[in-house]
Amino acid sequence: MNVWELIIQQPVINVLIVMSHYLGGSFGLAIIALTIIVNLLMLKLTLNQIRSTKAMQDLQPRLAEIQKKYGKDRQKLAQEQMRLYKESGVKPAGCAITMLIQMPVWIALYQSIMLTLAIAPEGLLNLSKYLYSWPILYEALPLSRSFIGLDLAERNFILAILVGATMWLQQKMSMTTSGDSKQAQQSQMMLWMMPMMFTLLALSFPSGLALFWVASSVVRIVMQYRISGWGGIRRGAGQEPDKDKRYVKLISSEEDKSVDDVGADIVITDKQQKPGKMRYLPGQDRAQRRRKK
Amino acid sequence: MPLKKGKWRVGRIWLLIVMLLVIGLVGFSCVRGLAPVGWSGGVVSDGTLYVGSKEGRLVAIGLDDNSRHWTEPLKASGQGGGLFGCSPAYGGGCGGGASGVAIYGTPVVMGDRVYIAGYNGKVYSYDYSSLQMDDIYPPEGNLEPIVGGIVIDQGMLYFGASDGMFYALDADNLIWKWEFETGDRIWATPAVSEGTIYIGSFDKKLYALDAADGRKKWEFETEGAIVSEPLVSDGTVYIGSFDRHMYAINAYNGSLKWKYKAENWFWAKPLIYNGTVYAGCLDDKVYALKADTGDKLTEFDMGSPVSSSLVLFDSKVIVASRDGVVHAIDTVENRVKKLAEIEEEIYGPLCIGDGTVYVHTQDLTLHRINATTGAIGTVSLKSGE
Repeated sequence: MNVWELIIQQPVINVLIVMSHYLGGSFGLAIIALTIIVNLLMLKLTLNQIRSTKAMQDLQPRLAEIQKKYGKDRQKLAQEQMRLYKESGVKPAGCAITMLIQMPVWIALYQSIMLTLAIAPEGLLNLSKYLYSWPILYEALPLSRSFIGLDLAERNFILAILVGATMWLQQKMSMTTSGDSKQAQQSQMMLWMMPMMFTLLALSFPSGLALFWVASSVVRIVMQYRISGWGGIRRGAGQEPDKDKRYVKLISSEEDKSVDDVGADIVITDKQQKPGKMRYLPGQDRAQRRRKK
Repeated sequence: MPLKKGKWRVGRIWLLIVMLLVIGLVGFSCVRGLAPVGWSGGVVSDGTLYVGSKEGRLVAIGLDDNSRHWTEPLKASGQGGGLFGCSPAYGGGCGGGASGVAIYGTPVVMGDRVYIAGYNGKVYSYDYSSLQMDDIYPPEGNLEPIVGGIVIDQGMLYFGASDGMFYALDADNLIWKWEFETGDRIWATPAVSEGTIYIGSFDKKLYALDAADGRKKWEFETEGAIVSEPLVSDGTVYIGSFDRHMYAINAYNGSLKWKYKAENWFWAKPLIYNGTVYAGCLDDKVYALKADTGDKLTEFDMGSPVSSSLVLFDSKVIVASRDGVVHAIDTVENRVKKLAEIEEEIYGPLCIGDGTVYVHTQDLTLHRINATTGAIGTVSLKSGE
């Protein structure tokens, strides 16, 4: 066994089997439970990512404004952008870096699920080398593949559609608005490309993996909702003013801002503000609004 | 253009993530046992060795001149292999290049026919010399994947399938005779002795069935799934289980005689010689146990899991471990030595004929190993080569 297998795969596989045993022999429940647990373990990273994305989203109008203002002076533009990022505590590549950190965990989880499913005889035979010497593991295997009428070893069309739908929803919720048409186009492409790609993958792989993707997306949707509400969904539902009007509104007065936009936690005014007040404070503004209501 | 540069950098990171994810998903899935490949053993009859290849073909190899003949490839069960050809249950795997129906069971030669079962859930009979297909079961549709081998006795053909059913067919025309339902998948090869069929199931039980009508004579429950083929000798059934025990069970009433605990699953069929049971285990060891009491005489460390069935040559027990090493256990001196080493993993059962050990590896190669000297020769099973 290599280091990756020893440190990551083996523990996850054994935990999956034990969980499956204690969850009435249901591997489906074990997948869902482990997905939730891993998400909880990575909660801080995930929250950082969501907050980072949201903060970037909130900064877009100001970035557009800066670009409009200093578009011809590249040096000044860069300085102003850096100043804005610094003041608001946003790291532009923050969410991508967080995702890169999380990726190995998800790949490990994916691999472990596939290995534990042990669909082909070779898979079951290979699984034996990952087992700890706990008696419970040997008796629990091979795991039952059926879960609420699904065969987790077979492809399932409905679950594949669910993979795409939940991923789209989660992406839409976290989608940033952009004044830059190129970036907006790219965001739109990602919004559709990722769910479509994963739907196709889910149509090709055993539904146990699709179940893992659906569970992951649902957990992320819940987290996203707790932090920024419906976000992009709400904006997409027509509750967002058009781009030009928004910029006008956002720089006009404090009163007109942040009234109907759940995500508008950063208040932008013409007045000089202390950097501390510009910081994004997740949840606080929403909580205040709730209290007002 | 610092702003655009920054945006494109983020965009590139996203695309990189997507690419990595796709590569990771596709790459890992196909090489980690998701797709069935097959590990059919060989059988020697009249100077010809028959083996099921990874291409889903029955291959006949003339042992004198290495001439080869292939049947038409078995047909998959009709369902596609998914977007990346990685879907599991159809036998058309993506691991390793071949895309044929996986064949796990060793072919059986009986009279002028050769029989083979495929992961596509069908049993085939071929003419012994022309390799033309004679019969097929079921004629329409497919059973669940067949992993275990078939056995033929008294004109009847027996096998189990992944739907948990055990089937008995007329060997002449592959007409259904009877079936018996177990509680879970059957991946084991049955054994037949004195009119009784012995078959293990994933439901953790070993069943003894009347070979004539499928009536259950007795059942013996272990604490783990059973995949290994039973060995029947002198009124005792020796069978290994996933509960890490090797069991000796009275063949007539199903009572336990003894059991021996190892460190991992027993997958391979054990072998008995001179009152000693040799049992290969996935804990890298071969255990030598006293056949009457189950006391351990000794154990041999093979350095890698043993999943392929053992064979006997003279007084030597030939063992293949997963890492491609073929060992010879001297049963007189209770010593093991390396006989040969091939650069492929070994999963399937060994076959012996005329002092040669035949090892089929998943790279479409049949290795011929001289059981005395360890000299290795190879024959490609790839059709058209």
